[in-house]
Amino acid sequence: MTEKPKVGVYVCHCGINIAATVDVEAVTEYAKGLPNVVIARNYAYMCSDPGQLLIKEDIKEKGLNRVVVASCSPRMHEPTFRKALQEAGLNPYFLEMANIREQCSWVHEDREAATEKAKQLVAAAVSKARLLEPLTSREVDAEPSALVIGAGIAGIQAALDIADAGFKVYLVEKSPSVGGRMAQLDKTFPTLDCSACILTPKMVDAANHPNIELFTYSEVEEVSGYIGNFEVKVRKKARYVDVSKCTGCGACAKECRLAGRIPNEFDEGLGKRGAIYLPFPQAVPAKYTIDPEKCLFLTRGKCGKGPKCVEACPAGAIDFEQEDEIVSFRVGAILVATGFDVFDPTKKPEYGYADYPNVITGLEMERLVSASGPTGGNIVIHNGEEEIVPKDIAFIQCVGSRDKSVGNEYCSRVCCMYTAKQAHLVKDKIPDARVRVYYMDVRAFGKGFEEFYDRVRREGIRYVRGNPSEIFRRGNKLVIKVEDTLTATPLEDEVDLVVLAVGLEPRRDARKIIELLRLSQSPDRFFLEAHPKLRPVDTATDGVYLAGCCQGPKDIPDTVAQAKGAAASALIPLARGKVAIDAQVAEVNEATCRGCGFCVSICPYSAIELVTVNRMGHMVEVARVNEALCKGCGSCSAGCLSDSIQPRSFRDRQILPQIAALGGTR
Amino acid sequence: MSEQFEPNIVAFLCNWCSYAGADLAGTSRIQYPANIKVIRVMCSGRVNPLFVVNALQQGADGVLISGCHPGDCHYMEGNFYARRRLKLLKELLEYIGVDPRRFNMSWVSASEGHKWKEVVEKAVEDARAAGPFNQFRRRQIGW
Amino acid sequence: MDLNKLRETAAGIVSREDVKYLIGWRRGTFGYRVSPYFIEDAAGVEELIFSPLCISNLATYLTLVERLPVPRGQQPDERKVALLVKGCDSRAVNQLLVEKGINRDRVIVVGLPCPGMVDWKLLAEKYPETEAPVEMRWQGDDFLLVHNGQEIVVPRAEALAEKCRLCRHPNPVISDATVGEPVQPWEPAEDSGVGEIEAKSAPERWAYWEEQFSKCLRCYSCRNVCPLCYCEDCILDRLNPTWVNRAFNFSENTAFHLARAFHLAGRCIECGECERVCPAGIPLGRLNRKLAKTVREEYGFEPGLDAEGEPFQASYRPEDPEEFIL
Repeated sequence: MTEKPKVGVYVCHCGINIAATVDVEAVTEYAKGLPNVVIARNYAYMCSDPGQLLIKEDIKEKGLNRVVVASCSPRMHEPTFRKALQEAGLNPYFLEMANIREQCSWVHEDREAATEKAKQLVAAAVSKARLLEPLTSREVDAEPSALVIGAGIAGIQAALDIADAGFKVYLVEKSPSVGGRMAQLDKTFPTLDCSACILTPKMVDAANHPNIELFTYSEVEEVSGYIGNFEVKVRKKARYVDVSKCTGCGACAKECRLAGRIPNEFDEGLGKRGAIYLPFPQAVPAKYTIDPEKCLFLTRGKCGKGPKCVEACPAGAIDFEQEDEIVSFRVGAILVATGFDVFDPTKKPEYGYADYPNVITGLEMERLVSASGPTGGNIVIHNGEEEIVPKDIAFIQCVGSRDKSVGNEYCSRVCCMYTAKQAHLVKDKIPDARVRVYYMDVRAFGKGFEEFYDRVRREGIRYVRGNPSEIFRRGNKLVIKVEDTLTATPLEDEVDLVVLAVGLEPRRDARKIIELLRLSQSPDRFFLEAHPKLRPVDTATDGVYLAGCCQGPKDIPDTVAQAKGAAASALIPLARGKVAIDAQVAEVNEATCRGCGFCVSICPYSAIELVTVNRMGHMVEVARVNEALCKGCGSCSAGCLSDSIQPRSFRDRQILPQIAALGGTR
Repeated sequence: MSEQFEPNIVAFLCNWCSYAGADLAGTSRIQYPANIKVIRVMCSGRVNPLFVVNALQQGADGVLISGCHPGDCHYMEGNFYARRRLKLLKELLEYIGVDPRRFNMSWVSASEGHKWKEVVEKAVEDARAAGPFNQFRRRQIGW
Repeated sequence: MDLNKLRETAAGIVSREDVKYLIGWRRGTFGYRVSPYFIEDAAGVEELIFSPLCISNLATYLTLVERLPVPRGQQPDERKVALLVKGCDSRAVNQLLVEKGINRDRVIVVGLPCPGMVDWKLLAEKYPETEAPVEMRWQGDDFLLVHNGQEIVVPRAEALAEKCRLCRHPNPVISDATVGEPVQPWEPAEDSGVGEIEAKSAPERWAYWEEQFSKCLRCYSCRNVCPLCYCEDCILDRLNPTWVNRAFNFSENTAFHLARAFHLAGRCIECGECERVCPAGIPLGRLNRKLAKTVREEYGFEPGLDAEGEPFQASYRPEDPEEFIL
C-alpha cells in the first residue's frame, strides 16, 4: 500500500508580502532538488482560485500524493489548502505548510538570510510531508442546546436568538438579576432613548422564554468535553430565599435591620440597600436575595431576637437553611458574554477620585441622572453638610483608556459619546450649568455620533483639548489644572463636580473564565477571538463563542450585532446536529505498549484507558484511546517510554525528519 | 575572517500560544534574527525531551521550546508536563557539560509578539556565545 | 543473618501450589561470584544464600521473563513468583507496581534488611579471586571473608559498595514476609560523585563525560540489567524512527546514555546495577544519581517508596520549579 511519495511544492509570493523579502524563485529551484519532490512552482497568490487550481491540476496530472505549500501560517490557510486537496481527490491530511510569511518574510529584513531560512523550512515541510498518513475525520452527534454565560444585553440577545431558533439555552448570570451594565445606564447615545425601556422587555422575554432556562445568582463551575458535547456544572448560589414562594413584595427588605446601610452595587455604591435586597426595581427575576456576607443572621448567627425578614415575609419564603446547589447539563455550544468592568480611577491618583467625593465616574453619573437612581434623577452633590445642585461641571475623557501608564493602550470606544450624552443630560436638567469637557481627541465614528457631538456643542457645552494634570480642592471647589493645548494656555478651572469618563476593562475575574474554557487573551487582556477579521466571534476552542465587551469595548448596537453573530455561529453545530471530530488524534501501538498507564495519568481529557488484550495467549493491559475525547495534544506521547502512543500527523517519525532537515543533516 | 558565527536554532512551539504569538510578531512586522527555525506541535506537552537531544545531535547549536503560560494551556495541563520533563533534561544536559546557553524554554502567549522577539534574540545570542556545537554532531555514515 | 530461617521461609513459599518459583541467590562457580537462583521446590533451598556478596538486584527477573506464546487451548502459567529483596531492590518492586509492570497478586516479596553489600572488585585488589567460591558474612559492622581457608575481618569502610555507602533505605519498603531484624539506617555518605562533577566547569564536565561515553561498547548491559528498563521493544533499538544510530561512536553513545538516563529520571531507585555490570567501567551511577538528586531536592520526590504513588514523569504540581523558563 505504501505508494512512493510524490511531493509537489508550491511557493507563494503573497503579492510582495513574501516575494519582497524571500527569493521565491530560488526557493522553488531549491525545492526541486529535495527528495521525492516531483514538481515545485511559485505563484502570486496560492490561496486564490487560480493558485489552488495549480495544485489541483498537478495532483491530477502529475499524480502528486503529497503537497507542501510554502506561504502564510498554517493557522491561516491550512483549512483552505486541505479543502483544495480534497477537491482534487487527495486525502486532505496529505498537506504540510511551511510558514514563510508570518515567521519569515515579515520578521526578517535580510533577503539572503530570509531566503535561506525559507529553504530550510520548505525542506523540513517536505521531509515531514513524505511521511504523512491519510486520515479521516469522523462525526459525532451534537447536543442541541447552548450555554450562555452572562445575561447582559449580549447574553440576553444571543440566548433569545438561539432559543427562537428552537434550541434549548441555559443562561447563567452571576448577579441576582439579568440586565448587566445596560440596565445601569440612563439614556443611550446618540438616540437618547431610555436604556431601561428598551432593555427590560428583553429581560422579561429571556426569563419567560420556554426554551431558556435561566440561572441567576449562579456561576459556571466546571466545563469539560468538546464542541457538540460539553458537560457543564453550574453552582446556584444559595439566595436564602425560596424563589418559588417569593412574590417580590419587598416587605422583607423594609424590615431588614441593615436596610439602607449597605452600598448598592447596582447604584455603584451611591444608593443603599439592606442585607436582603432586590438589586433594582425592574430586576428579573423579581426575587429577593440575602447577601450572605452582610446578613447579621448569616454572619453572626444572631439578628436581634430573630431575623425580621422571616417575620415580615407573608409567603414564608426566607430559608436560612438553603445551600448552594450544583446543576449539571450538556450543551453543544458555549457563548461567553461576561462583559466588562470599568477602569478603577484610583489608579490615577492625580484625579483625586479616592480623596474627593465630588469626583465621580461616568457609571456613577449614569446612576445619578437616572430616574430610577438613588436621587430620582436629580443631579445633586454634597458640599460639606449641604446638598447642592452643581453649577460648574467638568468631564474628563480617556481616564484609563489610551493610557500606557495604566497598561491600557486601547480606546474604550464609548467614553466620548457617553460623555457627550451625559453633558447633554446635565444641560437638560440644569439649564444654567456651565459644562466643560476635557478631551484628547473626540472619536465620533458611529452612526449618528458626529451629529450628536455637534448638537451637544451647540447646546453650549465647551470642549477643551487638554489632559488635566491634577485635581485639588480649594475651599468648596475642585480645581482642575490643565493646559488648553490648542491655545497653549495653562488653565485652572474651578468646578463643583468632576466626572471621569472611565474606560472599559476586562472583568477582574476574567481569569476564571479563561481557565474554565481555555480562552486566550489579546494584548489588551480582553478575550481573544480566533481571527481578528474573519472569525471575530469564534475562539481557539471550538464550540466556544464570544459576544459583547468581554471581547473588547463596544457600544450597545455593536454588542447586539456581535451577540447575534455569535448566536448564529453557535447555531451551526446545533442546527447541523453533528460535529466533526479532529482526525489528528492519538493512536496506540498495542504491540509495543507495556501498559504502564503513564498516558492514562497524563491525559487531561481522560481519553485513554487501559484495556486487557490477549497477546499470544497472555492477558496483558494496553492503552486505548477514545477518539471522540482525544484532542490530539500529544502530551501522552512525550511521556510514553516506549513511544507506543503517538498523535497522528505529529508522530515521532514525522517530527524527527523535520528536526534533521532544520538541523541540516537531512 | 572575522565573520560572526550564526548559530542554527531549532524551536518547538505549541500551536495555540507560542506559535500564534510568533505569527502575531509576523503580522506586527516585529523584526528578529533569522537563525530560529520553528517546528509546530500542538502542545508543548508534545515535545519529547529527546527531541532536544536529537536536534543538538543533528545540527542545532541551540534549542528553544515555548508553550503557553501556566494556566493558559489550550489542553489544560500539557505545559505543566513539559515544564517538569524539560527541567530534568536541562539538568541532565548541563551535567554532562552541554553549555546551558544551548537550551532555552519560554512561555509566550498568543498576544506576546514582543516577548517572542525577545526570547528569540536571547536564544540566538546565547547560542552564538556558546559557539558551534560540533562535538556532538551525528557522524554521517558514508558507505 | 540466620540462613536457616531464610531457607525455612523459602521452603514454605516454594512448597505452595500457587507459587511458580522463588528467585534468590546462590554461590557462583568461582571466587566472589554469586548467581541468581530460581528455586522451584523445597529441596532447592539448601543452596540459597544471603551474604554481603548478594549485591545483584533480582527484581529485574520479574520483567525479564520470556513470555512464550501460549498454545491454543492452554492457559498461561499464572502462578506467583517469590522474590528476595534488599532495601534497594524493594524500591524497584514498588516502582514496577506503580508502572503496572508487575501484578501485585502475582508476586510474593520476601524482604531482607540489608546491612550493606561489598564491592568485590575492591576486595579482589587485596585478596585475589580464587578458583573456589569464597564465603562471606557480616560480623558486627564489618565483613568476614573466608579466603583460601583463612578468616579475614574486612573493615566495612574498605569494601562497602558505593551504592551502599549512599543508601537511604536499607530496610525493604515493601514485603509480604521479612527475614531478619530491621537494620539501623546509616547516614548516607555525601560524596555521591555528583557534587564533584557539578563543581567542574562546563568544558571540564564535557571532557569528563566525553571520555566516559567514548568507552561505551553499546553492549546494552546497563539497559538489560536494569529492573526498570523493561520495554519489550526499546525505542533505542528502533529504526523507524531512528532515535540513535547503531554505530558506536561518541555522538551516538552520548545520545544513548542521555536517553537512558532521561527515561530513568524519577524512576531510578539507585540500585547501581547498570554501573556494576558495565564492562567499560562507565560511572553510570553518577548519571542516574544526578537526576535522582534533582527529583529529590527540587520536587521532594523519591521513586519506589510507595506502590500506590503516581509516576513522577506522568504527573506535575502547579508549583513545580520553573525558574529556568523565560
